[in-house]
Amino acid sequence: MAKKTYDLLFKLLLIGDSGVGKTCVLFRFSDDAFNTTFISTIGIDFKIKTVELQGKKIKLQIWDTAGQERFHTITTSYYRGAMGIMLVYDITNAKSFENISKWLRNIDEHANEDVERMLLGNKCDMEDKRVVPKAKGEQIAREHGIRFFETSAKANINIEKAFLTLAEDILRKTPVKEPNSENVDISSGGGVTGWKSKCC
Amino acid sequence: MSSLHKSRIAEFQDILSEPKITPQKLRELCFSGIPFEGGLRCLCWKILLNYLPVERALWSSLLKKQRELYAQFLKEMIIQPGIAKANLGVSREDVTLEDHPLNPNPDSRWNTYFKDNEVLLQIDKDVRRLYPDMAFFQRPTEYPCLLILDPQNEFETLRKRVEQTTLKSQTVARNRSGVTNVSSPLKTSAPHSLSEYEVLPNGCEAHWEVVERILFIYAKLNPGIAYVQGMNEIVGPLYYTFATDTNSDWKEHAEADTFFCFTNLMSEIRDNFIKSLDDSQCGITYKMEKVYSTLKEKDMELYMKLQEQNIKPQFFAFRWLTLLLSQEFLLPDVIRIWDSLFADDSRFDFLLLVCCAMLTLIRDQLLEGDFTLNMRLLQDYPISDVHLILKKAKDLQDSK
Repeated sequence: MAKKTYDLLFKLLLIGDSGVGKTCVLFRFSDDAFNTTFISTIGIDFKIKTVELQGKKIKLQIWDTAGQERFHTITTSYYRGAMGIMLVYDITNAKSFENISKWLRNIDEHANEDVERMLLGNKCDMEDKRVVPKAKGEQIAREHGIRFFETSAKANINIEKAFLTLAEDILRKTPVKEPNSENVDISSGGGVTGWKSKCC
Repeated sequence: MSSLHKSRIAEFQDILSEPKITPQKLRELCFSGIPFEGGLRCLCWKILLNYLPVERALWSSLLKKQRELYAQFLKEMIIQPGIAKANLGVSREDVTLEDHPLNPNPDSRWNTYFKDNEVLLQIDKDVRRLYPDMAFFQRPTEYPCLLILDPQNEFETLRKRVEQTTLKSQTVARNRSGVTNVSSPLKTSAPHSLSEYEVLPNGCEAHWEVVERILFIYAKLNPGIAYVQGMNEIVGPLYYTFATDTNSDWKEHAEADTFFCFTNLMSEIRDNFIKSLDDSQCGITYKMEKVYSTLKEKDMELYMKLQEQNIKPQFFAFRWLTLLLSQEFLLPDVIRIWDSLFADDSRFDFLLLVCCAMLTLIRDQLLEGDFTLNMRLLQDYPISDVHLILKKAKDLQDSK
């Protein structure tokens, strides 16, 4: 078996209305770049980034989902087994904010009970087009007891911070394992998927 | 041009010039790729997609009829419901005592108008990002829709509607006590809100705007399915092919012809786009499983590997199948694949084999790789030689 290059594997999921910038948020984090001309995500996409937290190498497996209602049967199957979910809205799009409660319900229905949730108000560089005040984002996050950041994939604001914070929150809940325990079962939260990190 | 290619073109011309085209012969020929020259591909696709009948004598009257019908759709669905421009002197027949923008009746014309705008905005978002690597869709068409762009018209174009709707949703903000603030219209400049993409001057239309109109008309005529993301990727290659026809008589009518070919194509693949059918016999889940069961027959070892790594067909085959591979390859290659797909007798069964071929062609890499590496391979498919893939798919078909 090849030597494992990380200590822990976290599976994260990005959800939210179509066009709020989920793919851009992920691309900024994984490739540190911005692209205005992303085609719409159909079904599900996937990226990997390894980060170091508290001396541990953590491999983040991040799933980017399509936002449109039609794809929900396809995308909700990924909720189970996700250890962290980022719910993204667009601060220049009121509708995407109104739908937050719908997305939160989706999480309740389909994700593990102990999943770490985080709310992101994206496109915060577009202050002149803002329709969702920051306070409203903070309020709904507080009501649901989840973390909140305003982000901009374009201006690179809070993107890395958001991902690292989410990873830290998951790490905090992760039972400490012996460093040489070979297989990390990421579905430990009762998930059914359980990808084993075999040879990497 | 090689003599081989020349003789191939001649073969196509022979078949197509017969008064009654033999579909089986045409299919066989098209399956190995249709030459671009002389508008052959456009013609073949229109026949394969059942837009043109096999009797040549019927073509001109049918085309005339269908193109008029499309113009009629434009009038009914874009022109008439559009709000009269608020020019001075134009009476607003659309605002009456019975029907007005605040009418709560769900059947109200105004209610429909606002609902349509939601669909339109979704289409707009997607068509603007159609094939961003290519300049084509951003460029102006030589044949802008005169019916729509006539300066004498007193209705709102789709472009205006999108601008108006985004303007509305951007300037109205509600504070926490429920007071609605409308920010000064002077502060926001609507056309700039979409500034990442250039909007062409009045009288010009970009190709993506034509695609937008086709999708909007389709959504209006098919309210049960309306618009689903990904349909843009199905219209794209059709429209591109017809709008680059070497024959300008055909090219001029690319919009109407694309609309009908798209509608016919959708009638065969629309179930993939319908969520409630996902788990039925005709839905996408069944087809994705079919890819795996075919793989199991053809390459047990590879199938077992993917199973073991828990790589589900949903992770990649959903997109492959729904979009007929249009996001996996460059446009000219997509078009070449579609030649074979459209020519296939039991249409789109061949698509399952193409997917299978794509898997088996990278089997050595997949057998070596871990979950992450394999997901990357499948989501960003490494082979660009589509002839190799199609040949492999044909081999799989023949080895039944």
